[in-house]
Amino acid sequence: MLSAIGTHGPTVSPFAMGLLNAVLFAVAIWLLVKPQQKSETWLWPLFLFVGLASVSRIAMSFIPNVMPVTIMAVMIGSKFGVQRGISFAILVTLASNAVLGHGWWSLFQIIGWASVATVASVVKVHDVEGKLLLNRLAFASLWSVPIFSIVVSISILDSGMSMIEFGLYIANGLLYDVLHFLGNVFFAVWFGQWFERLLSMNQPQDRLVQQENEHVSTF
Amino acid sequence: MMRLALLLLALLMTPLAQASSESSWTHEFESGYISTQSLIVEDTIFVRTSGFWTGEERPIVAAFEVETGSEMWRYTSQTSLQHDMAPLLFVKGGSGACGTWNDLLLVGWTDGKITAHSPTNGSIVWQNQTEVELLGITGKMALEEDRVIVPTRTGLSSFCLADGTELLDVDTGNIGWRNGVTITEKGYVYGDEFGYLHEVDRNGIVSSTYLGEGKIRHAPLDTRHGLFVHLQTSQGSTMYLNGSNIGIMGASPAMPLFHNDRIYAATSDEWISISCDAQSCSVDSIEPFHSNGELALRIVDSDVEVWAPSNTPSGGWGVFNETSLVRYETTVFDTYGTAAPGFGSGIIALGNDAGILSVQYQATTESSSEPSDIDAVGLLHYLSILLFFLLTCTSFAIKNWQQFAKTGSAFLLVVAIAVVPELSVKLAEQTAFEQSVEWDASWPDEWKETQVIVFEIDGKEHVIGGLEPQDTVYELTELACELLDITTEIEQQYLGAYLVSFNGSVGDGWEFTIDGNWAPIGMEDAQLNTDSIVEWRPV
Repeated sequence: MLSAIGTHGPTVSPFAMGLLNAVLFAVAIWLLVKPQQKSETWLWPLFLFVGLASVSRIAMSFIPNVMPVTIMAVMIGSKFGVQRGISFAILVTLASNAVLGHGWWSLFQIIGWASVATVASVVKVHDVEGKLLLNRLAFASLWSVPIFSIVVSISILDSGMSMIEFGLYIANGLLYDVLHFLGNVFFAVWFGQWFERLLSMNQPQDRLVQQENEHVSTF
Repeated sequence: MMRLALLLLALLMTPLAQASSESSWTHEFESGYISTQSLIVEDTIFVRTSGFWTGEERPIVAAFEVETGSEMWRYTSQTSLQHDMAPLLFVKGGSGACGTWNDLLLVGWTDGKITAHSPTNGSIVWQNQTEVELLGITGKMALEEDRVIVPTRTGLSSFCLADGTELLDVDTGNIGWRNGVTITEKGYVYGDEFGYLHEVDRNGIVSSTYLGEGKIRHAPLDTRHGLFVHLQTSQGSTMYLNGSNIGIMGASPAMPLFHNDRIYAATSDEWISISCDAQSCSVDSIEPFHSNGELALRIVDSDVEVWAPSNTPSGGWGVFNETSLVRYETTVFDTYGTAAPGFGSGIIALGNDAGILSVQYQATTESSSEPSDIDAVGLLHYLSILLFFLLTCTSFAIKNWQQFAKTGSAFLLVVAIAVVPELSVKLAEQTAFEQSVEWDASWPDEWKETQVIVFEIDGKEHVIGGLEPQDTVYELTELACELLDITTEIEQQYLGAYLVSFNGSVGDGWEFTIDGNWAPIGMEDAQLNTDSIVEWRPV
């Protein structure tokens, strides 16, 4: 939906934008340091994911709505929980928008990906043993799209826009949602297992070996 | 490894989603006009300036790298004064009866000098002097074998290309201005400021024909029905073919062109296409237009394009086919202009009276056998669609469902990347709200059936109409703001071109409507009709 935008939300002054970014960054750090019940080793995999997601989003920014960030947010939310998922959403958005451009939409992108990660923390794409379920990840490619798109589209709502206009705006973006969905499926099918190995890089070796033996990707 | 290759492939395809393949550079000269066509020779653009020169200001000739716009060299005449309007002439190296020469850039000056420069560093290879009566050389020169034919202020001279030795000097006594010379079977033809057409044979014998009271300010055109001359008169202009009047037209005629049995001319009032058949030539088509300088011809995919600079405050260039106006080309710095564009392979060099040279690379190129970068990316995309389709079919055939899922998803994605952006714009246009916008009775009637744009800035309405048609809201906004002296701040952001402010006013943002309809697409994508009314208002 983003690429079909003709109007924009409120313009945020550089000072306000800087302040907003600082607050968001602080929230991300707080979420990272805040103790979590799970004892998973998440820090370096998460940082690696943030870097990978940011770089790939910037590199693929010329293809509208095709980026691995959404599927990565799903995997982070499912594996590390809502807290780390929100942190991931904040850090990726801040880092990639530093190149692509910050604005009012940054806030909604963060909320969008954080919402996706939150839902994924409930509708998991991993089984009880922490193994990635590709079928569920492929399904997540679908449900994550409307969540992210609707949240981000709210950024253009203003007092002068009727709900019919907003509905039309959403409808006009459906084709880009299809593109988003196809991109998600592509990243899930091609890179899902690879992403999973990165997320599991700090797990005990015996678990990794076990997972590797079970991994049957052939292409 | 396969995944890495795939990621690289995806990155290679990213340019497909970019809106435009054009890029450009500009160079603003410190002073003076660009009144003559720039020459593009391989990797170099040559351009000269003209105009009134006071104090230390002097006319120059400069060379720029086509690719980067960096200045390679410049030559400043310390003695030439004003109106340096003789077009530059590039000569390929060669040899003849009078000697051998390397590539040369020939320049005629209003102080009567002709200088031959090295195209690589601008140094003078040779120079010579012609007659001066207030002014010197102002007309178009011509090449004949080993010599250059130069229309001088009071006659005609020819010089050896190898060393600049004068081979011929003819003086008719009448002064000429922009009196370009044409080479015919019999010799050389040029006109003067008193309506005489002079034909000089190769031995220097002159025969003159009086056409009528007026001025001949272009190189006569040699057609199969005789010489064509567009005579500037006190009332307007008269077109002559082989001495016979074939039409009376508007004032200040431009320099006509002849191509494939058609003559293209222009005046302050019209653009004219004259068709020549077996018997004679006659006016075939007239379009309202204002052009007084050089016309230029370009062949694009075997179609003729005639470019005419619009010598009006809004400037720009009209692009015509054989009979009518096809489109209008504009830049952000348009103003009065008389210089024809210079053409290279996929490159257009535009100059105007503001002394600004704009070099644009265009996706639409002249007929060329070399595929462009865009073609290469398009081909890669096409091949990737084909490849993934075949792999998907193969996976299906061997019932390898895991591989089928992978190749199938990649196939659908590359197809969608090709289809979605354009389809989305079409859909957005179809579903836009249908509302009407009222014509403001205070607007001049001349604005009817033209594009009108309204800006509401800080509670005050700024409006302009009667503009040359623009394709998008973005282009119309840029043009109108230029004319209304409204400053704009436009940023390329995540969402595309984002209008930040008008006259520094940021507010809560800006939005536009077209004919009263809210457009759910960006201003770069929002297409306009020739009579669209665009309104910019704060959110």
